[in-house]
Amino acid sequence: MTLTRLRALRTLVALFFFLPITFFFLDLGSNVPGSVNDAFLYLQIIPALLKFFAGVGVMIFGIVFIALLTLLFGRVYCSTICPLGILQDVVNRIAKTISKKRHKRNYFAYAKPKYAIHYSILAATITLFAFHSTMLLNLLEPFSNYGRVIHNLFRPILHALNNAGAAATERFHVYFLYTIPFKEVAVGAVIVPLLFLGLVVYLSYTRGRLFCNLLCPAGALLGLISRYTIFKIKVNEQTCTDCGLCEKVCKAQCIESTSKQIDHAACIGCFNCFNACPAVGLMFDRHYAKIDSLRTLSGAEASDLTGRFGSRAQSRDAQRPVDSSSATTSRRSFLTMAAIGTTLPAVLKVDSLTVPSTAYMDSRKHPVTPPGSLSIAHFTQYCTACHLCVTSCPAQVLIPSWFDYGIGGIFQPKMNYQSSFCNYDCVKCTEVCPTGALLSLLPEAKRLVQMGKVQFVREDCIVATKKTDCGACSEHCPTKAVHMVPEGNLSIPEVNNDICVGCGACEHACPVKPRKAIFVNANPVHLTAKKPEVKKLENPLGNGQDFPF
Amino acid sequence: MDRRTFVKQSIGTAVFAGSYFSLGSFTSLLASPASPYDLVAIKGGEPGAMFDKGIEAMGGMSAFVKKGQKVVIKPNIGWDTPVDRAANTNPQLVARIIQHCLNAGAKEVYVLDHTCNEWQKCYLNSGIETAAKNAGAKVAPANSENYYHEVSIPKGKNLKKAKEHELILSADVFIDVPVLKNHGGSKITGAMKNLMGSVWDREEWHRNDLHQCIADFATYRKPTLNVMDAYNVMKQNGPRGVSVSDVVLMKAQLISTDIVAIDAAGTKLWGMNPDDIRHICIAADAGLGRKDLDKLHIKRITV
Repeated sequence: MTLTRLRALRTLVALFFFLPITFFFLDLGSNVPGSVNDAFLYLQIIPALLKFFAGVGVMIFGIVFIALLTLLFGRVYCSTICPLGILQDVVNRIAKTISKKRHKRNYFAYAKPKYAIHYSILAATITLFAFHSTMLLNLLEPFSNYGRVIHNLFRPILHALNNAGAAATERFHVYFLYTIPFKEVAVGAVIVPLLFLGLVVYLSYTRGRLFCNLLCPAGALLGLISRYTIFKIKVNEQTCTDCGLCEKVCKAQCIESTSKQIDHAACIGCFNCFNACPAVGLMFDRHYAKIDSLRTLSGAEASDLTGRFGSRAQSRDAQRPVDSSSATTSRRSFLTMAAIGTTLPAVLKVDSLTVPSTAYMDSRKHPVTPPGSLSIAHFTQYCTACHLCVTSCPAQVLIPSWFDYGIGGIFQPKMNYQSSFCNYDCVKCTEVCPTGALLSLLPEAKRLVQMGKVQFVREDCIVATKKTDCGACSEHCPTKAVHMVPEGNLSIPEVNNDICVGCGACEHACPVKPRKAIFVNANPVHLTAKKPEVKKLENPLGNGQDFPF
Repeated sequence: MDRRTFVKQSIGTAVFAGSYFSLGSFTSLLASPASPYDLVAIKGGEPGAMFDKGIEAMGGMSAFVKKGQKVVIKPNIGWDTPVDRAANTNPQLVARIIQHCLNAGAKEVYVLDHTCNEWQKCYLNSGIETAAKNAGAKVAPANSENYYHEVSIPKGKNLKKAKEHELILSADVFIDVPVLKNHGGSKITGAMKNLMGSVWDREEWHRNDLHQCIADFATYRKPTLNVMDAYNVMKQNGPRGVSVSDVVLMKAQLISTDIVAIDAAGTKLWGMNPDDIRHICIAADAGLGRKDLDKLHIKRITV
């Protein structure tokens, strides 16, 4: 394989990840099985790291794979696996096509890396995380941001198109498409991703991958490894004609063609330079090889990657890395900023539990967290608000929060019993969560997870106020934690919180307005519900008569 | 029920029964297709086989479905529970009704319900979607308000209007296929209660005297035929149920054009007295049908 084919390979691999991941966040009908989500998402580096910290060991394979990949070939992750990176490439491609008409070509130029800013952001992100806040991670993590953009901006468009298509076809009683009612819209979760998308589009249009090299914590992390990458892109000084084309096509703005230097911490492995270089001046080269052997390699030899991979054990000491000076600077700034970062949480005073929620059920302090989240503390620590659970929930009971979990927990999902309730037998959200904020549950285990406890307000209940039968709450209760007991001619709800799972079916079904007569109070730490008692029927064979009339 | 209401209702029923007989020829005009029995009750077989016998006794499906007609079947598909929990109508019964309709020359048969759990899961896990599609019916969604159109209920006392599903509005034949269960709110759920799943806003019914609203809506449109599934019957924790131990195998089925009679018979079959079920009493008093089972012409079939 020649080096020029690498870009095509990169595009193929990128599409392999980009298209399914995009579909996961667009999925209107909760069609994608949890295992398929898993297969495509376990390589997402920050979610995988979070899942590792959350105590899910299997994710370590994904982490090791990405670390090795980066060590071998640099930050190719950013050009193939990261959906936000590919989104920027798509924007770039479109920008290029548009500007072709005007300027013939859209060029980039080398830009001095802003390591101080980038690594301070990484340090601050890590520090905040260490202090149990995912706020910065939430705002900057590429996978989650991509998810939010697709879920909150593009999925509603698809949703509207679906409903328009359904409205057209349903006239003819064709139900291939069907109307999906719009549930409550979280305005903040639309505005912020819109601003974010605007920023990313602007940055990628003007400066290529500046987001990845200035703000992205994953980019910073992988950059720490990629500066020691074994196979590096290098300028072949013997064949280089100083045309500077490589610099102009470099989205990462990391090639300085005048000095023939490439900043490997910033290089995102897009391989555009290979295709641009007319004189095969660039070589995909092994950093630890002797400088002499490098210089004598021909283009064809340089392309023989597999051969080189096999003969790695050569002397390591010969060549000083071209970016060593900048590496030292950045390492220093990283440490400095880490120190500064530790003071940040004290300034921000991140407290996830002090903001009161809904106004009308005044006894409620906390939002209900999804099943598998263990507790508000665990959930808010590991959730980066990618909203995959919100997309995937068949009942559409999950909704992005605003400040319910405090400022640090912005956009993290919560249960919204106003618009729906949690399906007793469903474990979808626990299957799809890529970060370990929701730990995978089997249906048997999930049926015993108590997310909250039910509270019945007798004086608001229709049976008490209007003296008529109702029973909507008990009707929907999957465990009969809410059951009806006789009261005169009528029956009125009674609550047994031992077997309540906090699914919100009663709250959702309660017809009382404006204040529901029955609702769920969140368990800040999820508890285990008792199994519903199996009552034996007194007369299991019925009344014995064939026809009692 | 206290003694006074019992006496009142009994008088009401007696008055109604009297007027029914005195108006004999007139009421028979109201009853859509002429059928030899007021009620057919079948016991002892599988749901499909029982329906075969029952509908034969009713004069065959061709007495209700004419060539080229559009049929809507409304089973209870309210819950995302498996078949053996009997929270939803038996899929075999639904399939057999569809086959009879198609054999009678129906142009198209639709199956739908406004479910309580997610509709796709309910349709699938109840077994009804698969069974209905295999039998040749179209399974239509009922999960969105835009399928529903406002209708007025002139005879309604509390429920003056409701939003009814457009397929039911345009159907020539409407078959109500409830499953017999106990119910926390309405005590029993049968044919009249099952119609609650054909409207959009159910909360309004709960807010405005559930029993009255159930009876009110029954005045809006009389189903062409009612088929009550009592093969597996939920005896406690209804209408959703908690486990299979809530269910007894009753192997019974009722067929009638009289929505009150079928609910009254179902209540008896379940083990309660129809006089204790307020919406049955209200509907009977309003002349929607008869709950005086001992005076009805009932065909009893044991398979």
